[in-house]
Amino acid sequence: MDTATWMRAEERLAEGVVAPGGIADLSALLGTWFNTDKNTGGVVTMALAGTPEDFTVHAFGAASPEPQDWGTVPAVSYAANVGSAAGMAFSATYDFGFVETFLAAYTKSGILVLDTFNVFKDGSGRSNYFSREFFHR
Amino acid sequence: METLRFARARDLPPEGEPLEGPALDPSSLVGTWVNFDAASRGIARLVIKDDGAGGMTVRTFGAGFDEPRDWGEVPGHPFSDGVALSPAVAFTALHHFGSRTVTLACYLNKCLLVVDAYTRFQDGSGRSGYFARDHFYIP
Repeated sequence: MDTATWMRAEERLAEGVVAPGGIADLSALLGTWFNTDKNTGGVVTMALAGTPEDFTVHAFGAASPEPQDWGTVPAVSYAANVGSAAGMAFSATYDFGFVETFLAAYTKSGILVLDTFNVFKDGSGRSNYFSREFFHR
Repeated sequence: METLRFARARDLPPEGEPLEGPALDPSSLVGTWVNFDAASRGIARLVIKDDGAGGMTVRTFGAGFDEPRDWGEVPGHPFSDGVALSPAVAFTALHHFGSRTVTLACYLNKCLLVVDAYTRFQDGSGRSGYFARDHFYIP
């Protein structure tokens, strides 16, 4: 491969490593994840399910008296490097109409770290905001 | 006053707190951010500018070559720490090269900029899409 096609060195496969053909193992991600903060005002739980070809997230937002069911949306999985077939991160987008929420998450030592980037589209004067939360299975 | 819609409690402003409007102040993000790890094989530096219209631009340079590789300048999208706040503490930016898409999801942690890069390949190379994290400072 021509080096000009690399935008940074880590995109290059290590010497002798064969391209895995994509992510095949989602075991580090699949399951139901619970927010470590029981009083969160953000995401309460997330269920990650499916296969690498049909990977989904089903999240619930904090609300009273019951969490809001956000429904299920497609998710994209990511490995720790270009030569790995093991998924350890994901991204997904929820469009609620009045607000769009981009989920960007990764696992580390059995914890899932979720960043959300929230864009309001309703002209309410609310600022687009960022949040960071931690989950366990 | 119209009732605000929400998907989670944090979408609502704290009681009695006025909304400052959708315009965010990106000044805390503006500058040239250099990777703490001089031997990084990911991103060498980012140049962030205020676009003067409540937004920002992001210019990224890839690491691991004799000279950092210029990814070009793209719009950045700033985010605050809450719906009633205006200082930006995070941003996203999208670099699309045809054969790959890199979504940068970034936030400030004190004076440190944490950059999470979510990369997807569309070049049939068989490489896995991957996640990478780098930490930056302003010298």
